[in-house]
Formats: sequence, C-alpha cells, structure tokens
Amino acid sequence: MNRMRRWIKIQAIATFEFLAVVKRPGYLITTFGMPVFMAIYAGVVALPAYYATQKDHEAALYGVVDRADVLHLSGDATSAQGHLPAQLRDALEAAGQQAAIQRIEEDATVTFRPFVSEADARRALLGRRVKGYFVLPPDYLRTGAVESYTPDAVDLSSADPRDDLGTLVRERLVAGRVDGGAAARILAPVGDMHRFAVTRTGEVRDGGKMASAVRLVVPLAFMVLFLMSILMTSGYLMQGTAIEKENKVVEVLLSSANPDEILAGKLVGLGGAGLLQICIWLSIVLLAGLGIGPMLMAAHIDVPWTTIALALPLFVLSFLFFGSLILGTGSLGSTMREAQQLAMVWSLTAALPLITMGLLIKDPHGLVARVLTWLPFTSGALVVLRSSMDPGALAWWEVAGAVLVLCISIWGALRMGARLFRVGLLNAGARPSWREVIRQARLATP
Amino acid sequence: MSESTILAFVGLSKSYGQTSALRNVGFDVPAGEIFGLLGPNGAGKSTLIRILMDIIRPDAGQVRVFGEPRRREHLDRIGYLPEERGLYTKQTVLDVMTYFGTLKGLSRADARRRGAEWLDRVALPHVGTWRIDRLSKGMSQKVQIASALLADPELCILDEPTTGLDPVNVRLVQDLLIERRRNGRTTILSTHHMNQVEALCDRVALINKGALIVYGEVDEVRRRYSLPEVRVTAPGGMPPLPLVVGADHEGDSTWRVRLADGAEPSALLADMVGRGMAVERFEPLLAPMEDIFLRVVREERV
Repeated sequence: MNRMRRWIKIQAIATFEFLAVVKRPGYLITTFGMPVFMAIYAGVVALPAYYATQKDHEAALYGVVDRADVLHLSGDATSAQGHLPAQLRDALEAAGQQAAIQRIEEDATVTFRPFVSEADARRALLGRRVKGYFVLPPDYLRTGAVESYTPDAVDLSSADPRDDLGTLVRERLVAGRVDGGAAARILAPVGDMHRFAVTRTGEVRDGGKMASAVRLVVPLAFMVLFLMSILMTSGYLMQGTAIEKENKVVEVLLSSANPDEILAGKLVGLGGAGLLQICIWLSIVLLAGLGIGPMLMAAHIDVPWTTIALALPLFVLSFLFFGSLILGTGSLGSTMREAQQLAMVWSLTAALPLITMGLLIKDPHGLVARVLTWLPFTSGALVVLRSSMDPGALAWWEVAGAVLVLCISIWGALRMGARLFRVGLLNAGARPSWREVIRQARLATP
Repeated sequence: MSESTILAFVGLSKSYGQTSALRNVGFDVPAGEIFGLLGPNGAGKSTLIRILMDIIRPDAGQVRVFGEPRRREHLDRIGYLPEERGLYTKQTVLDVMTYFGTLKGLSRADARRRGAEWLDRVALPHVGTWRIDRLSKGMSQKVQIASALLADPELCILDEPTTGLDPVNVRLVQDLLIERRRNGRTTILSTHHMNQVEALCDRVALINKGALIVYGEVDEVRRRYSLPEVRVTAPGGMPPLPLVVGADHEGDSTWRVRLADGAEPSALLADMVGRGMAVERFEPLLAPMEDIFLRVVREERV
C-alpha cells in the first residue's frame, strides 16, 4: 500500500515535470529545429566538399617526356576506358580478367601527353596547358627514378597522378610480354581481400574493416549519446529545482511528497524529456541512414547484438545514477548558474570514458579497463566497450558485478541526492556552506 | 489526547544552532474546530507547522495526528497553505490544481473535476485555462487556498490565508472555513488578524519565543484576560451595590460597571434581580483578542 502510494506520487511528479518541459516552446524548437539546423549546416559544409571531389575526378592532363623509351606513346594516352593497349586488353579478356580491366579503367582519370623534349613540356606547363609533367630518364628501367615537375603553387587537390603514371608504365611494360593471368596480377596484385578474425575459442568470424568499424561504433555511439544525454538533461534537471525555489512551491511540494519521491519523479520526468529529445534525434539519424542496414546485412558482418542488448539497460542505469547526483548537487545552488557550476563535475566525470577511449581500445581488458568496469561512473561504458571489442574476454560476473555496482550506487545516489535536495530546497537564499550542508543533510532524514 | 483530538503536539523542541525555535511545546487540537495559532513574528509558529508537515524534524517531542504518531501517509489527509507560497507561474491554473490534487492522492480526473468545482466556489470559474502569471495577487491567493482545500482534507493548516485579500474575498474565505467546520473538518488558522480569531476560532494557542503562553477556548481565554467589567442597561438607574466598585454612564440607561475583586458577574446579576431592578441588558465585557495578544507579548518581553 505504502509502496503503491509512493509510486503514485513519483508518477504524478514525473508526469507534471515531463509535460511542463515538453510543452515549452523552447523544447519543441530545440527538438525539431536542431535536426533541421544540422541538416542545413551539413549541406553548407558538404556542398564545397562535393564540388572539390568532383573536380578531383575530372580528367587532368599531364605531360610525359619518355627518355627511357618504355611508353611508346604516339598521342595522348590514359589508362582509362578505351586506352588499354589492345594487345593487353585481349590477353586480359582471354584470361577472364574482366574485373581487372574494369578496375584499371575506373581508376584512371589522368591523361598523359607525350613531349619530345623537356623544354616543350616546360613551355606547356608555363602556358597552363598541362598541370605538370614527368620525365622518365634514360636509366629509368635500371633505377626506377622519375622526375616530376609541377607549378610553384600550393595544390590541395587530393588527385595524385603518380599512381596513374605507375599503372600506365606497368600496362606498357607487360603488354605482349606475359600471359593474361600474370598481366592481371601484375596490374592488380591484390584483388578483393577477405579478412577473418579467429576468436579465443577458435571460431572464425568476419574480420573486415567494416566489422571492426561496427565493433568500435557501438561503444563510441554509447559514450557520445550518453554524454549528450547528460549534458542536455542536466539543464532540465537543474531548471526543475530552480523553478520550485523561484515559484515558492517548495513547502507545498515537501508537505505532499518525500524528498526522494520528488527527486525520483523529477529524474524520471525531466530525464525522460531529455531522453525523448535524444531519441527523436537518433531516430532522425537512423531514418536518414537506413541504407546502412542492408549494407551490413549484405556484408555478413557479425553485429554485436549482445553488446547492443546490454547497452540499453546500462544506459538507463548510468543515466539514473548521474541524474540523481546532478539533481541533488544542483539543488544546492541558489541560482541556475551556480547550480550548473556545482553539477559540472558530474558532466565532466560522464565524459571520462570518451576521453580515455583511445587508451582503452588498445587494451580493452587491461588493468585500467578492468578497474573502471567496477566504478559506477564508468562501468556502463566500459562493459559496452569491452563486450563489443572482445566479448570472449569479458566474464559474465564482471557484467553482473557492474550492474550490481550501478544499482547500489543509484540507491546511494538517490538517498544522498534526496538529502541534498531537501537541504537545497529549504535554503532558498544564499547557498549554505559545505559544513552547513553536511550538518543539515545529517539531520534531514528523508 | 482525547478521542475528539485530531492533532496533538507533545513536548516539541527544536533549535537552529544556538537559537531555540521551540521549547517543549505541547497542546491538543480538537476535531471539527477552527483553531487559531497565534504569536508574533519569529515566535515559532512556522517551525511548529513545518514539523507537523514533516518538512523539518524536531530535536525532541512527538506529533500525533488522527490518533497515532504522525506518518508520511497522514500528510495526504492534511491540507497546507504555507506562509511562503507560490504557484508554477508558467502553468495553467487547472493544471497546477490537478497536480497538487494528485500529490494528495486524488486521481487525475478527480483532481481536475474538483479543481473546476473549487474555482467556482472561490468565484474564479473562468480562470481554469489561464496561465498563473496572468492572475492578480488576490486571484492567485484564492487559487492557492482552493488548492489546499481541494482534496477536502480532514485537517488543514492555513498560514495567513487572507493577507492581501479585499473585504469581499476575506468574507468568502471565512465562509469557506465556517462551512468546513459545519462539515466536521478541522482548520488551523495562523493569523495576525485578531478580529478573525474572534469571529472564527473556537480555540487558540499563543506561542511566544518558542513557548506556549496561552491555550484554551477563545471565550475562556478572553474571560481569563478580561477586567471584571459588565455592560448593564437598567432603565431605573444604577444605584450603589456591594459587588460594584464603580460605574461609568455610557448614555441612555447604559453603564459600564466595574466589579469588586473576586466578584462574579452572575452574582451581580442575581443581586440586581433580587433587588427588583429592571435589567434590560447584562453583558460581561470580554477583552478583545488583540489586547490579550499585545498584553501577553509585552509581558513576556518585560
């Protein structure tokens, strides 16, 4: 009966706080305006980048002075479509190397114009008729040395004609000298590489770049989203206590509900409003990136489902823990600004796993990672990281222990937060000294 | 604590550092009465009320309510209008009233329905959808009183409920309190308006410097602190009598009569009737509560 009564109060406070926040125009503008702003921002940033990339893919004209006499160019040449030496193309086709032909042709974006002398090439460069020129010296076959001449200006273009020149030279060198299969391997020695990872139990699983990326993205997303949630929600949480002080409804509230009921209700209501905002943003991002799903399925990548399943409860538990601390500490501030300063320490602590992620990735099951797994401030993120990076090395009892530590810490944080909350709410004037806070908190049994 | 006692403070003490806010305060509040809690500013009234509402804890003593030691669950049956009060300014009136109702254990729908009814009773039926910051001070005050009474609490503590209200609204609030008494509900009224105490309260407790100074039924307290005087209307005149030490003529056939030490008004009346005097009006003069308040507080200071 008593438990039911407490739950009803928590529910009433949570509902009121949640509706009070989500109906605010500022909340609606931030929630739905932020994605629009981000899309416009991304568009503004992406547009110049897109045009720069397009420009990089435009065919560029380079000169070549072939003193080594290996290219035998009679006119403009490229390794692009239609410009493979016919003899080589026939050999590759006969060997069933269509993929090699396609790859060579797709990669080529540079046209090479032969010049008889270096002086002619330099004149063309000065006249801006070519972007640069290469000189293959007479002893090229022996030394492999090539001279490159470009204008004396900064060129930030990502296009690099050296690979195209290399392909062109290889094409010309192998033409008529080796069979199709060998030619294909000389031109593209490593085709598609399938990477596999062997687990501690001897199981072979996909180990490609995409698989590694997914295993890194899950904990990274957890940490970033968690930090975002804490930063976004802490404002709402502190605003909640500031409003009570400002509107002088503290006594009415405390005469109707326990400080821990008020704290829990505010945590659920205000935290829920903050998390809803994050969920909406996440949904928009996921909807925008729907194409990634089929790509992952097609690539047969082992999605770390266990980690994803663990991530949700750990996220909620970690959030409740930090939320209690922020709410309790923030209520001691006499102004919103002071409350934010007081609660800042928890936001910084929440960022700890993200800050140390580089170190943790290198050794996800090392001493540092193992110790952090048992600290309530970092346990959620660490379990997710370790479970994603190498699930075999994370013992079940470490997961259970981390959950237990978080549950006990939430209980402790709620109790401590409730005491601070009562002290903070009743001290509506200047912030009490820490000695006074401790003294009153000891008296104020929630 | 008798069966009719709804609330009892037993030996309550509370200190803030070196300052003693309450010193062994104890008294009963009978059920179904309007009880006046009186005292100068800083006397300890708010501390007492906060202890009752479990906002602060006493250093010693106990609060008994509804016949048992006070528990958190009891607070759902107690309404409270604190001295330091306000409302959520950005919310609508009905939303806030509904919220306060649900905190007292009402369902959302019931709280909303009662909220609308109470707005009607405090003559504000049109403000339900208004934002609180649109209300005038008097309107806001009435909304707060309505919120405290919304759940029809068996016991309600109202700290200065009529401050800032015009005479019409003061009367409206007084009528609400009288109606509560008629329905067997108990109200503790903390006020500095002694005329309201005389008009409304059945019993009072006066606290000064953290200690209980005066306690009892209003008439009894007034008698206790009154001078032995009666107002007499006797058409045949007011002759010298053994129980009378002086008489001031107030006009027509009316005298303000001072009794001898230890003489009871009833004995004087019996003497006058026994002498065959025509007595049209015989009224023992009770000291106004304001005089008692001032006298007691000044005596304490001395």
